[in-house]
Amino acid sequence: MLIETFYRQIGSEIVTNKSFKFSMPVYKLHYFNNPRRGRAELSRLIFSQAGVQFEDVRFSHSEWPNIKPTTPFSQVPILEVDGQVLAQSNAIARYLARKYGLAGKDEWEQAQTDMYIENIHDLLNAAAVPFMEKDPAKQKELYQKFMTDTIASHVVAVEKQLKKNNTGYLVGKQLTAADLAYYAFFSDFIEVKFGGAFLKDAPLLKSLIDRVKALPNIKKWTEFRDSKYPEEN
Amino acid sequence: MVHYKLIYFNLRGRGELARLVLHHQEVAFEDFRFEREEWPKYKAGTPFGQAPVLEVDGKPLAQSNTIARYLARQHGLAGQNEWEQSQADMYVDCIYDLITGTRPIIYETDKEKQKEILQKFLKETVNPHLEKLEQQLIKNGTGFLVGKSITWADLAYYSFFSPMTERFGDSVIDNSPHLKKLVEHVANIPQIKKYVETRPKTTL
Repeated sequence: MLIETFYRQIGSEIVTNKSFKFSMPVYKLHYFNNPRRGRAELSRLIFSQAGVQFEDVRFSHSEWPNIKPTTPFSQVPILEVDGQVLAQSNAIARYLARKYGLAGKDEWEQAQTDMYIENIHDLLNAAAVPFMEKDPAKQKELYQKFMTDTIASHVVAVEKQLKKNNTGYLVGKQLTAADLAYYAFFSDFIEVKFGGAFLKDAPLLKSLIDRVKALPNIKKWTEFRDSKYPEEN
Repeated sequence: MVHYKLIYFNLRGRGELARLVLHHQEVAFEDFRFEREEWPKYKAGTPFGQAPVLEVDGKPLAQSNTIARYLARQHGLAGQNEWEQSQADMYVDCIYDLITGTRPIIYETDKEKQKEILQKFLKETVNPHLEKLEQQLIKNGTGFLVGKSITWADLAYYSFFSPMTERFGDSVIDNSPHLKKLVEHVANIPQIKKYVETRPKTTL
């Protein structure tokens, strides 16, 4: 078979004279290996749900001092897209969601998707306070406060939005990165850590995160991730 | 014509970027401001118990960056293509983190302790960021953060660093000549200058 015909058959873009260009960019997502989900997980879920290949680069904390100066703002995650670099977890997630059809059907729905992703960003920042606390007794107290002060009221508010939207999804009539972000935080972090009691008065949110958890591509990813990367402390 | 109502405290804070975007693009909007004591009255009507909220023909949108991004995208201030748009997003997300970092300083009542926290914040967070930022500005080579022309990212840096220098002195950005030039450039844009001269004077 001629090389040109082969590549035409697998649907790549072809430039004549036997040179060719694949349409799929080369993605490398860089983050710590611990925490194994952390601020990179939403992007990994977006890649997985969209069925897009990416290199999931994870490095140790001892390697970080060498990597840090090579990043735009001394932080990770960063995403390399054909060698060009994008920083900031939400900017990365938003870029991928828009590119791969997980950001709603129009500008308004994209904004709604952004809004929910930014809600989760705030909740992650709030959770970071007890997470970083070294004293176990104080940490327990801070987590308790976090659950009753921050999480409880947010769950009430988002349940109301889900009821109002009335489609089973946070935004419009389809799955978006907003649903993935809520799954990642509320199921994969909060529920795992504190149990599901906080969802007892939020049947719509519970249904959403259970449905996302069971999506074939999400399930495939989390099973692979959990078996390949050991649980952190 | 779409009707915009921006609902926020009578402060700059996390509402100011959206205001700057609208003023820069000369888009009419209702700049609804309430005093801190009035907040309980409005809180329950917001989607997530927070402000700012943007009403677009009555439909609410929450989250300060989401609001400013939506307006920037609708009105041509978000970058020339998808990649530039995400670069602009990245810079605004950096500012969001810096704003969050100022909260302990703003809410500290003890003047000596406040000075201490501020110095720590400048040394450990702001200065390292500015070093990297200068490199990015030099690399881009146009005077702007993204591409060849102004985006909401430039307004975000102005929106954060202008009050910072106002409150804590020019020394905050003295070692960042490219950022200093950018902030000055934005300050002198006629629409921005006019808005700043006429807006309510607020501490934050």
